[in-house]
Amino acid sequence: MTIEFLWQLPTSGDGRYGDASQTRRGERTQSSRPPFTEGVSDPRGNRFNFLDYLHQIARAADLSGFDGIQIQNDLEGDESWIVAGYLARSSQRLKLLTEFEASRGSAVYAAKNAASFQRFTKGRFAWQISQGGDAALRRQHGDFAPDSAVLPRIGEFIEVAKGVLTQSPFSFKGHFFEVLDGGFKGPLANKPVPPVYLSGNTAEAYRLSAQWADVHVLDAAPAEELKESIATLQALAAEHGRSLAFGLRIDVLARETEDEAVHDAQRFLAQSGRAVGASNPVVGPNLWAGFATVQTGAAASLVGSYGQVAERLVKYADIGISSFVLAAIPHFEEAYRIGEQVLPVVRSRIAIEQAKAA
Amino acid sequence: MTIDIFWRIPTHGEPSSHRSRKPWRGDWFPGNDNLTKPGLGGGEDGTTYIDYLAEIARAAEISGFQGGLIPSFPSTDEPWVISSFLARETKTFRFMIPFQPGFLNPVVAARKTASLQRATGGRALYNIITGGGGPQQLWWGDSVPHDDRYTRTTEFLDVVRGVWRGGPFSYQGKFYQVEDAGLPDPLSQEEFPEIYFSGSSDAALASASKHADYYLSWLEPFDALRDKFKRVKERTDALGRKIKTAVRVDILARPTAEEAWEEIRKGFANVDPAALARFQGTGEPSESVGAARQRDFRPTTINSYKDLITEPNIFSGFGLLRGGQTQGIVGSYEQVAQRLDDLVQLGADSFILASTPHLEEAYRVGEEVLPLVRGRPSGSAVLRAVG
Repeated sequence: MTIEFLWQLPTSGDGRYGDASQTRRGERTQSSRPPFTEGVSDPRGNRFNFLDYLHQIARAADLSGFDGIQIQNDLEGDESWIVAGYLARSSQRLKLLTEFEASRGSAVYAAKNAASFQRFTKGRFAWQISQGGDAALRRQHGDFAPDSAVLPRIGEFIEVAKGVLTQSPFSFKGHFFEVLDGGFKGPLANKPVPPVYLSGNTAEAYRLSAQWADVHVLDAAPAEELKESIATLQALAAEHGRSLAFGLRIDVLARETEDEAVHDAQRFLAQSGRAVGASNPVVGPNLWAGFATVQTGAAASLVGSYGQVAERLVKYADIGISSFVLAAIPHFEEAYRIGEQVLPVVRSRIAIEQAKAA
Repeated sequence: MTIDIFWRIPTHGEPSSHRSRKPWRGDWFPGNDNLTKPGLGGGEDGTTYIDYLAEIARAAEISGFQGGLIPSFPSTDEPWVISSFLARETKTFRFMIPFQPGFLNPVVAARKTASLQRATGGRALYNIITGGGGPQQLWWGDSVPHDDRYTRTTEFLDVVRGVWRGGPFSYQGKFYQVEDAGLPDPLSQEEFPEIYFSGSSDAALASASKHADYYLSWLEPFDALRDKFKRVKERTDALGRKIKTAVRVDILARPTAEEAWEEIRKGFANVDPAALARFQGTGEPSESVGAARQRDFRPTTINSYKDLITEPNIFSGFGLLRGGQTQGIVGSYEQVAQRLDDLVQLGADSFILASTPHLEEAYRVGEEVLPLVRGRPSGSAVLRAVG
């Protein structure tokens, strides 16, 4: 089994503190205070913005050995497809896992845009289709679909997109999408369908993944707890004659020693506005909840020495996780740290285990 | 106001001259969806077609064009993708993005646009199109009828504008609803993109009058175009708004008129007889009023390329040479510049020019033709020929 490590791109803000969402590195807006005092000249003017910084994170992920980047669908930040295109030509190999909601418009148009991505990147574009926020938040974003429609719409979206990308003529009439004699021809025909990453913890989300996902991304939890979800999902997929791969969305706080990691974890906890000692942040072996995760979107973070964090990641791989979607703040510096200090250990450990098993 | 001159990005691939369809750059051209000929980014040489398009965008900005129209057809790459891919490697090139409002949720479109503005330093423009209709629309997955689609376009732009400066903005339309919507800061601080609007029907004009900055038309016979621009400006004036006009036109300019027409003669001699027969027929059925107008403007009997010279320096057979729009300007550098100035005099405020091949011709037109165009000097009291 090939293991992929994807690094998260924080599309609405990043920084070295636990409240990172408030900082857009490189960005100078009318409302933001000048970063330097009046006594110090600042040559930047407004020639840079946060996208320049996102570009540096992507380059960091590329140079430090990640297999791809995950581009968040953060409604407070920049739009994920534009960010994906903006970064695409700065790497020859990174997978561009782009998160969005099925409420973005026509599935045919999305598929057609995806075909261009695939042509221009030689097949590096991948889709993470998320369910979005609650009904009120969805209405803010022009989506009046009731809760009960969100998952079925994702299913139709994928069915139509795959249909027009792989068949011509293709016709479809569902609740949300309709196509007559569609399907791409010429240069757009038979481009690789973007691998589909789905997530969700309900029975309905599991059934959707069983039918349509290539990868089901699980939220961070102790490895023992994830085993059951994996077994359930795999059994459901088997009913469709399919097999799923599994992803894990988890943060990492790795330092040279465990003491340093715990020290920084406690500092992030305080900066995140959570009272120290309110509840035990340790929810599993080397697994903490409650800091940084508001910004990065992960349920929990591994906290430990490089060796400990690597060990835990190997453990997840052992139970069947093959796509790691990792993040840490600040994303730029930590991409290098994790890429240099943790990934090589995890990769060699997995290679040794696979060689033994073979 | 001075006039703006844009170039165009050949998303559909292109031949290396007007004379022949071979060799072809890219892997597709209009009318032949099955072509998979490799060449300049269409093949197995390690490059992709975006590499060639990037060269054209840079040639256009270096030679002084505002930017370029990036047309979208069923078998071409999409302008949103091309624009985002080329954002970092261009400096002044403005990306004119044609799209049909029905294909995007307007709030998503607003975020996309604001992000593209941030990625490019404010170089995004819209070319709003509302669809030719017929079976083609259902190919796109769109079942809304022709006139309703213009209502949808109007609503779409109502919402994009409504959310642009932040919220809360609510809207109850027939096609779109939002509640307490608004772009987040700092996306909400970007400039709203200029809107070029295409569409020739009455429903289109009504929608354009409300939202468009520029009303964009293909080149038509000069008298017809003068009337059309007059009509759209009157309609917009009635709403208390001002609208400018733009002309999309192919040009073929050479040091002498003889050399320019020789290119046409050679190209016409290589036209496939079947294509010529189709050209003379009624064409593909479509609800597009603009396409029908183009057909009405050309002769029905064609024995020589000269039969397609409909006005001085106007050749209405470009569609035969490279697909697409038919009317274009042919002549010496001076003649082509003069005809562009004639269009300025009848009301044009902006041009989208193109010639084949788009890469080398961007330099030629930028160096030889644009310096001869008088345009409309800023600040001088030049009277509009219309209105």
